[in-house]
Amino acid sequence: MIVLVIVLALFFDFTNGFHDTANAMATPIATGAITPRLAVALAAVLNLVGAFLSTEVAKTISGGLIREGEQGIHITPEVIFAGLMGAVLWNVFTWLRGLPSSSSHALFGGLIGAAVVGIGFHSVNFTTVVAKVILPAVAAPLIAGFSAWLCTRLAYGITARRTVEGAKLHQGRATFRIGQIFTSSLVALAHGTNDAQKTMGIITLVLIAGGLQETGSGPQFWVIAACAVAIAVGTYAGGWRIIRTLGTGLTEVKPAQGFSAESSTAAAILASSHLGFALSTTQVASGSVIGSGLGRRGTTVRWGTAGRIGVGWLLTLPAAAVVGALAALLAGLGTPGVLATAVLGSGAVLWMFVVSQRDKVGHHNVVEVQDAGEAVEFPRRRPFARKGSK
Amino acid sequence: MTIKWAELAIVAIATIFSAGTVVLLYGLGVRLAAVAADRRPKGALQNAVSKACFGLCGLAVVVGVYLIVPYFH
Repeated sequence: MIVLVIVLALFFDFTNGFHDTANAMATPIATGAITPRLAVALAAVLNLVGAFLSTEVAKTISGGLIREGEQGIHITPEVIFAGLMGAVLWNVFTWLRGLPSSSSHALFGGLIGAAVVGIGFHSVNFTTVVAKVILPAVAAPLIAGFSAWLCTRLAYGITARRTVEGAKLHQGRATFRIGQIFTSSLVALAHGTNDAQKTMGIITLVLIAGGLQETGSGPQFWVIAACAVAIAVGTYAGGWRIIRTLGTGLTEVKPAQGFSAESSTAAAILASSHLGFALSTTQVASGSVIGSGLGRRGTTVRWGTAGRIGVGWLLTLPAAAVVGALAALLAGLGTPGVLATAVLGSGAVLWMFVVSQRDKVGHHNVVEVQDAGEAVEFPRRRPFARKGSK
Repeated sequence: MTIKWAELAIVAIATIFSAGTVVLLYGLGVRLAAVAADRRPKGALQNAVSKACFGLCGLAVVVGVYLIVPYFH
């Protein structure tokens, strides 16, 4: 049972990785600052490094959401298994739809659903859910969006150069591309320090619940290593569908905008994880992209796509909770139930993967919306001076 | 239920301030580089200040990395 949970947890880590490659790398790919394959490789390495850097978050995972201990309620491996199943299925489903949704919300949702069914309604601390999950979900895109909007205005304001007669002068905004490499790397690193931790926390929780590890101890080294590798591999696999949505689906991103958006994303993630108000990476990144789209004159934000993403966010918690609850119901039947859940779950993932093959999105066509006919094969070095990048 | 409004406000302000700083510095660097390019072969001063802006911006990113890694604290 514990082995099964660990495998599933690592798979969740993998989906988390490829779900969130987009947060860091969608905008630099969209502006051509980095080629897609190099971008995911860079993000993967930084995630790997980031995962090793810190285990602070791992120690506080799920803290307070589910009431543990006091009244004799113990999270069983079955409940965690069911919760993870909910999170994984929702992650794969949103990837199929190309929606950037929060992996943390999926995880929380799955665990909540599983806990309600497996332990009881009283096991969930709903006020904490509102304060820790729902409010930040509203705040994250607003803060990041406003910041990105402001930064975009600032970037264009500073670099605008005109002669006295009003003719445009050379502006050199393409230089922002180089800056993008650094800001997006910072986002990827911050992501690694945050997100791989969740899985480490879960696995440690299971090991403690299974009596294989002392209560209150931190994650063991092999757990850290396995999680780091899983999230890096996931990142390298690249959630191309989500990258396409975030990079080109919301708005047309220019280097200066991308730089502003990434700075805002990195600043928001760092500020939130160091000042005690946790924000979701995904929601911060999406907010930034929209904000930067609003900040440049002559750009339109595709509110239809933004709306679809918003609906996805609203659904993430309840949907993962429902799947988690169903899985908990089934897994509660004993070993056959657990096995049935595992088989059904892998079947569903496999089916969604097969469906995805019908309309394949890979590094070769991830930004074709913008570059159709121009760079289908992605030449090794893209011409830096393109129309409109001034 | 306690909502940490103060923390939320601080996070918002810190985000906008730090992102704004990075973009401001980089933007100035870009602008001065463009000015220097237009004045070539003169414009050495602008070029130097532009480099300095990029350097400060890089420093800001390094501080970000410093914040990420708990090992340094």
